[in-house]
Amino acid sequence: MAAFTKRETLLNISTGPHARGPLTTRMVMLDVVISLLPATILGVLNFGWYSALVVLTAVLSAVLTEAVFCWAVKKKQTVGDLSAVVTGLMLSLCLPAEVPLYVPFLGSLFAILFVKCFFGGLGKNIMNPALTARCFLLIAFGNAMTNYTLDGVTTATPLAMLANGQAVDLYRVFAGTTSGVIGCSALGLIAGAVYLLIVGGITWEIPAATILSYTVFIGLFGAKGFEPEYLAVQLCTGGVLMGAFFMATDPVTCPTTSPGQLVYGVVVGLLSGLFRVKGTTQDSVSYAIIMSNLVVPFIDMVMVPKPYAYRAQREKGARIIPKAALTLCAIGLVAGLALSGIYTLTKDTIYEQQLAASAASYREVLPDAQDFAPDEGLDAAIAALNGEPYGESYGRSIINQAIAGKKASGATVGYVLSVTSKDGFEGDITFSLGLTRDGTITGIAFTELNETPGKGSLCGEPAFTDQFKGVSDTSPVNAVSGATVSSVAIMNAVDAALDFFAANAPQ
Amino acid sequence: MKTTFRGGVHPKECKELARDVPFETLLPTGEIVLLLAQHIGKPAAPVVQKGDEVKMGQLVGKADGFVSANIYASCSGKVKAVEPRRNVAGKMVNAVVIDNDGQFTLAEGVGVERNPEAMSRQEILDAVGWAGIVGLGGAGFPTQVKLMPREPEKIEYIIANGAECEPYICCDDQLMRTYPEEIAGGMKILLRLFPTAKGIVLIEENKPEAIAAMRQACEKVENLSVLPVKTKYPQGGERSIITVVTGKHLRLGMLPADVGCIVDNVSTVRAIYRAVRWTEPLYERAVTVSGEAVKHPKNLIVKLGTSFQELLDCAGGIKEGVTLKKALYGGPMMGGAFADLNCPTMKNNNALTLFAEDAVEKAFSQMTACLKCGRCNRTCPLGLQPQMMAAAAERRDYEYYEKLYGLECVSCGSCTYGCPAKRPLMQLFTQTKAEIMAIRKGGGK
Repeated sequence: MAAFTKRETLLNISTGPHARGPLTTRMVMLDVVISLLPATILGVLNFGWYSALVVLTAVLSAVLTEAVFCWAVKKKQTVGDLSAVVTGLMLSLCLPAEVPLYVPFLGSLFAILFVKCFFGGLGKNIMNPALTARCFLLIAFGNAMTNYTLDGVTTATPLAMLANGQAVDLYRVFAGTTSGVIGCSALGLIAGAVYLLIVGGITWEIPAATILSYTVFIGLFGAKGFEPEYLAVQLCTGGVLMGAFFMATDPVTCPTTSPGQLVYGVVVGLLSGLFRVKGTTQDSVSYAIIMSNLVVPFIDMVMVPKPYAYRAQREKGARIIPKAALTLCAIGLVAGLALSGIYTLTKDTIYEQQLAASAASYREVLPDAQDFAPDEGLDAAIAALNGEPYGESYGRSIINQAIAGKKASGATVGYVLSVTSKDGFEGDITFSLGLTRDGTITGIAFTELNETPGKGSLCGEPAFTDQFKGVSDTSPVNAVSGATVSSVAIMNAVDAALDFFAANAPQ
Repeated sequence: MKTTFRGGVHPKECKELARDVPFETLLPTGEIVLLLAQHIGKPAAPVVQKGDEVKMGQLVGKADGFVSANIYASCSGKVKAVEPRRNVAGKMVNAVVIDNDGQFTLAEGVGVERNPEAMSRQEILDAVGWAGIVGLGGAGFPTQVKLMPREPEKIEYIIANGAECEPYICCDDQLMRTYPEEIAGGMKILLRLFPTAKGIVLIEENKPEAIAAMRQACEKVENLSVLPVKTKYPQGGERSIITVVTGKHLRLGMLPADVGCIVDNVSTVRAIYRAVRWTEPLYERAVTVSGEAVKHPKNLIVKLGTSFQELLDCAGGIKEGVTLKKALYGGPMMGGAFADLNCPTMKNNNALTLFAEDAVEKAFSQMTACLKCGRCNRTCPLGLQPQMMAAAAERRDYEYYEKLYGLECVSCGSCTYGCPAKRPLMQLFTQTKAEIMAIRKGGGK
């Protein structure tokens, strides 16, 4: 027997195990895509084909960004693992149905390039790419991102309706036939979540902890306590399901251990609840999750379960919940309360900022004035109106406030009136109207105009507003074509203001 | 008693290839190479020289010290050489090489019937030591050492391990189906050593014939029962078995005896029976030859020292139209890979598994970055956190690796099997553990 065999006949050697499970990264990602399909399909059925285009744009943009990045930095091509598809799809499901296509394009670009690739690619990012991109889009394209439409008409989302005290049809929330993001169908999301739980794509810890802690928080601090229907709507809207089942469970940005996931879920739930109850936007869950993402490395550092052989036997009366879990929950609560405290403290500042904003609009409509001061006579006249619409022939026009504009010398140059019309197509229209002392209009500026984009919204454009300058009644003003309701409401409100001023003008 | 443990994986069993093939005795034609280190502990010292005539069952290597084992000739013939030969792992080990005369003439005194009932405790222990019996399940730890715990009265369970959780391997299954009386007889002998203990034959549920056969055989022995357990890898691991039977978990450095257990593979138990009752030293064992690349997967009774190439030839060689890519001693989960089949069988080799496809090669092509999905954490039968351990090991943070109890890892490979990113976790842990031990030995240099 030869001591050595020829090299060509030698067999492969390697350390074990020499059998590997069938699961691959691509299959894991594919499972997530499959789980998101019900919500995607229901979304497209509800919002129409344009929303399919939004989804497609986001997915393609994500894949393309990753492919180009890998090519540019000469990294092994990684688009085959499908993680970019997941990111694009998740992002698009969190977008309003009628966003301009550059929004999903830029969002996916941001998610893949800045949040994922720059941090080292798959598995290295510290925040959920889709959600971070969504928050970026909310800041960068606030109008497009919060313009929720249904059948081409801007419509309040269930959450906004709830905030206004209106009733929400839970059936429509489930079917996803309400206004909202593309992936807003509770039924579609739940179906996908059940699929993921069955195939082991997600574990129960994070969704359970998130939903439970969120519900408890809303029940305790929300508007209606533990009323089941109220809680159900709060749970099924505003991205709570999407967040709890699909976003918070993103394996890369959540803790890997079971107790760590429970703590993390509680943090996400509490922050979501806090931001929803105390915050100013509807996007509480997005912010809550990306903030919780930042706590994950700490959770992973302190919440390391011991091997079974080193765990205390439960029958010996050892604590079931580890001390670290309690500590972290406490940290979460304290952080949450601190944040709400900061909000309360800064609330007055916010009010002052709003005042400053009004002052800016005052200056805009009455450019000659350097200073503004209340006028007792006008204030008394407004108080006498008692918040009721002014006059009978001006629709529901309400005079909110009147203020005198003065020169540095103290001489009055004119007045600014704040007027709200309740007859807008989409809700209230509020504007500031500048008048000279003899009642000629010097300018009009809107502080609240949520009319249909491309139609009523055109009333805010100079083409319409400039017509008011230099006139003392609205007869020469032409309505915006296609936005008669909005135009008429504004003209009525201007007439009401002029009439009010004529009747009460200080001499 | 539970029926399973936490964690674990379900690799494809693939036992159907050979599970119903009855044993066939392989009489080797080529030379016999008896490695003198086939066990954990010190190698045996050769007691024959070149040119000596030997008979089957004759001592050729004598146990050198307490943790060592005797080596016996497995054929008759002339000693060709006492020289280093390559073992399965590719290491050169001193060996007695015998020119096989093909007669298999038995040595004197071998095969003499004895009555175990009439033997004293010491006589039984001596017989086990004399026969050179080591853990035949794979560990190769000298059995008589295991049978002499410091506090014998604290032993509660004697467990015969018939789990056989490795895919492809079915020689223990066949052993239990073919020789249930001998295994029960071996357990009876062990129970005599520990009168206060209970005997358990632990078998995975995927072996109903073996369970039935063992149940029947165990009925006749007092204090002996069969425990069917769920089919799950690594049920056959000593720690998993102890967890199922006692509910306790072993820590690093603890012996099964510390929690009142002695665990022996069923083939070891049978060897004990043969040694005590029939004065038969360990010179042959059951081996499964299986895998997708083999023409006729088989269960063989193999004379120790036979070349693995002869085992493959006996099983019909490689299938037509197939190229052998990987050959393993043992099963795919815990087994090691050969570079060359021309090396001798040892006491702890329970299988020869041959593949036309290399799963490791394929996994390497599918490898991605870690997703942190945590599947490894959930499958670890010890409750370790392989994901965190791997991260620590990759950045050479050995201090943190130890803090994560990384040295506890038994290299069962469950984490690696289930990893969707195909990370080589077990390899990393094996290497890291070795490095940490080397640093400790070298005084931190």
